[in-house]
Amino acid sequence: MDQLSQAAINGVMLGGFYAVMVLGFSIIWGVMGVINLAHGEFVMVGAYITWLLSKQLGWEPFATVIVVFPVMFAVGYALQHGLINRVIDRPYLISLLVTYGLSIIIANATKIIFTATPRTVDTAFSGFWRVGDVTVPITKTIVLIAALIIMSGLHLFLQYTRLGKSIRAAAQNREAARIVGIEIKYVYAITFAICIALTAVAGTLVAPTQPIYPFMGPPLTLKAFAITAMAGLGSIPGALMGGIVLGLVEVLIATFVPGVGTNLGIVSSFVILVVVLVTRPQGLFGGLKPAGAH
Amino acid sequence: MRTLTEIWKRYKLGPLVLILLVLFLFLLPLPRWLAPERKLVSNSLLFSLTQLFMLVTLASDWNMTGGFTGYIDFGHAVFFGIGAYGAGVMMAKAGWPFVPALIVGAVAAAIFAVLIGSATLRLKGPYFSIAMLGTFVAMREIVRVLRPITGGGSGLTLPPYLNRPLFYYVTLILAVLVVAFVWWLRRTQFGATLVAIREDEVGAEMRGINTTLHKITIFWIAAFFTGIVGALWAYQNTFIDPDVVFFESRTIELVMMTMLGGLGTVAGPVIGVTVIYWLRDILWSNFLQFHLLVEGVLLIVIVLFFPEGIMGLLNDPSATSLGRLWGRYLGEGPKDAYQSTETETSV
Amino acid sequence: MNPFALPTREAAAPSAPHPEAAPLLEGRNVTKFFGGLAALNSVDFAVYPNEIMGLIGPNGSGKTTLFDCLTRVQHVSAGEIYFKGVDITDYKPYQVAHLGLARTFQVIRVYKKLTVWENMLLSRQWGGLSMRKKFHTPPAETEDRARGLVSFLLLDRVMDEQAGNLSGGQQRLLEIGMALMPDPDLILLDEATSGVNPTLIEEIKDRIRTLNSQYGKAFLLVEHNIHFISDLCSRVFVLNYGQKLAEGSPDEIMENEDVIEAYFGADGGDDDDW
Repeated sequence: MDQLSQAAINGVMLGGFYAVMVLGFSIIWGVMGVINLAHGEFVMVGAYITWLLSKQLGWEPFATVIVVFPVMFAVGYALQHGLINRVIDRPYLISLLVTYGLSIIIANATKIIFTATPRTVDTAFSGFWRVGDVTVPITKTIVLIAALIIMSGLHLFLQYTRLGKSIRAAAQNREAARIVGIEIKYVYAITFAICIALTAVAGTLVAPTQPIYPFMGPPLTLKAFAITAMAGLGSIPGALMGGIVLGLVEVLIATFVPGVGTNLGIVSSFVILVVVLVTRPQGLFGGLKPAGAH
Repeated sequence: MRTLTEIWKRYKLGPLVLILLVLFLFLLPLPRWLAPERKLVSNSLLFSLTQLFMLVTLASDWNMTGGFTGYIDFGHAVFFGIGAYGAGVMMAKAGWPFVPALIVGAVAAAIFAVLIGSATLRLKGPYFSIAMLGTFVAMREIVRVLRPITGGGSGLTLPPYLNRPLFYYVTLILAVLVVAFVWWLRRTQFGATLVAIREDEVGAEMRGINTTLHKITIFWIAAFFTGIVGALWAYQNTFIDPDVVFFESRTIELVMMTMLGGLGTVAGPVIGVTVIYWLRDILWSNFLQFHLLVEGVLLIVIVLFFPEGIMGLLNDPSATSLGRLWGRYLGEGPKDAYQSTETETSV
Repeated sequence: MNPFALPTREAAAPSAPHPEAAPLLEGRNVTKFFGGLAALNSVDFAVYPNEIMGLIGPNGSGKTTLFDCLTRVQHVSAGEIYFKGVDITDYKPYQVAHLGLARTFQVIRVYKKLTVWENMLLSRQWGGLSMRKKFHTPPAETEDRARGLVSFLLLDRVMDEQAGNLSGGQQRLLEIGMALMPDPDLILLDEATSGVNPTLIEEIKDRIRTLNSQYGKAFLLVEHNIHFISDLCSRVFVLNYGQKLAEGSPDEIMENEDVIEAYFGADGGDDDDW
């Protein structure tokens, strides 16, 4: 029982991270129709910036958000202008391959600069707190709370600001949005920039909870894809639910199937993905756009 | 450029060049084979060419589903892995000789293709691509977990057999066979149907084509050949573990090579593989540390500026951006807009 | 004597439908919902053998949706569809095609990267459903048929051209040819004349009549060209907002007040379909 509730708590915590990690991927796909295979690499870059700042300058890891967000926002804006813009209206194979190329470049550049050694980030909030017999690491609690704050903030931004409305309009119908005077390229660039910045912030959040290394990206990308397909493109509540489902499945398998460890996490996410896609291609939670439409 | 294209087309130089090339490749190691003291070719060149032939076969297999049928498979290397492990397990654990083990590997790959294909081939576009990528990653982890059978992360060692010329000939024959098969396939109703599925799957279905059956059939055929290559590779390498067999970017390499040559063309994979293979040799020897980085850049450049590939350039120079650039340099503007409307009214 | 090498059947069949004859295609209570919107609402209709029936209705009235349901690309939400007395409601699209139902499309769907010749040949699956026969060369009869149809549709000059390079009108003709390739019993033509020049429309009209009277083919036409409908059809069926509005001879329909209302009515004026 305790083992079960412990696993459930861990699963929800992991799910919170997945939810915030998946947002950027999901919105870029929903708004621009680009499946960003370099997604996991941006998480990794965010984590590395955090590691660098906390190791070199002794910053508190969670505080590095104030650097990570603006830096990666700029990176995202530049990338959209220089690269992603060229692939938006072309067959999906083009955008998949271009972003895959990007992921190879980022991962290998990181490996060349920082070597492949796994790094850990220390934080001041490294204790536990207890509920009955269940121990909860404080770092993971912070991650979950931060994830919830980010998601609500993003939701408010998309619902109530002018820019957020433009982004949603562009996702629904690009031509119509263009006709009513929305500067589509600008909206895309801002969207991409925000999404990349959020993704990197997810990297900051995960850095204190697990070792980081240059090739941590691809499994994250795959999980992001699974969650998005399950949740519907650009759906924030869907991302939260999908993230928690995946987190729970992963932790429960690791806890209760002996001799397997977390290796099968990726397998379980894949099984979920295929089952969802085959049975319910429009996703479970609606969203900016049905997942079947392209 | 234009005259070159015309000569190429008019005199049908393609097949001739190909036959001469294959003949040359067949004869290349022969003196050494007959009289071992006369080494015209080095072991490393033979090895290199063997790898090249394997890649040609793999890219042609990928092209069957990815190029002709339009189902972009990002996890095609899973069949390579199953072929390698199927043969490897039979040889290392059950002590079978190579040929039956190879058949087991290839058949296992084909059967797995039917099973996974009947689920994933219902998915469209990027969903299929990523589902196959997921299959690939999942299979690697499953192989790692199934320690009693596959040896887990520490891998399997196969009985060594070092005969470079033999591998050379086997892979060469296989490559020629597969390329010839694809060439013939494109000229059958089956091959044309695959292209029809790529162009308009729903329309094909409404015109009486059982698209699912076609897709699964070509999927297992491609998987079967890929499985053979996997088994050969395992035997040649004499050691397999999950990370070398299920190497991350193996599939994407195939996509990149096929694309450089020309998606959905018979010669595309051959040309693309050859170009990138030698290019990579140069990269390896010059920028060992940066070679993957450079490869990523190369991928982006090919995809952005060269999506129709070399075959596209040969067939219709004006269809690719590089070709257009070249055309502008020669002063051949794009065709006059009036021409097309004229043909329209002449109906 | 046989302009497009159709297999010669028993000579001229009567062209007027038999009121008592069993319908060739019959829809009962056909209903289709998109979300909460009923694109088709309990539509009953029947097409009889040897008949040319017209299907008209303002834009968005559900004509193409009906075609999609008949060819099984869309699942009906309720109701049954019978073709040649067989319940095809749960058939796959290709099974319906093999039963002898062919169609063309409002938005052209030719295989753009295949040649005209390949497009034609592919539309007749000569091996039936056997996969093994997909590797065989086409029988002479199929090639003759394709050649006949290609020259009938004035496409012989572009036979080896990729279909995507053809003009819009030529692609439409190619589609009609592809629909005729399998020798179907009923052909659904979805706006077959849009983008085709007037002389050729007359040709097509003529050929449809020939096919109907000499070879006993039945047609169901969706058409915005009212002269085309009134010249060809013995009966016309009107859809409006997914419901059957009227049914009768072309003359009756043109005088029907509900129909006039639907096309030019209070909310209308923006519809120039007639």
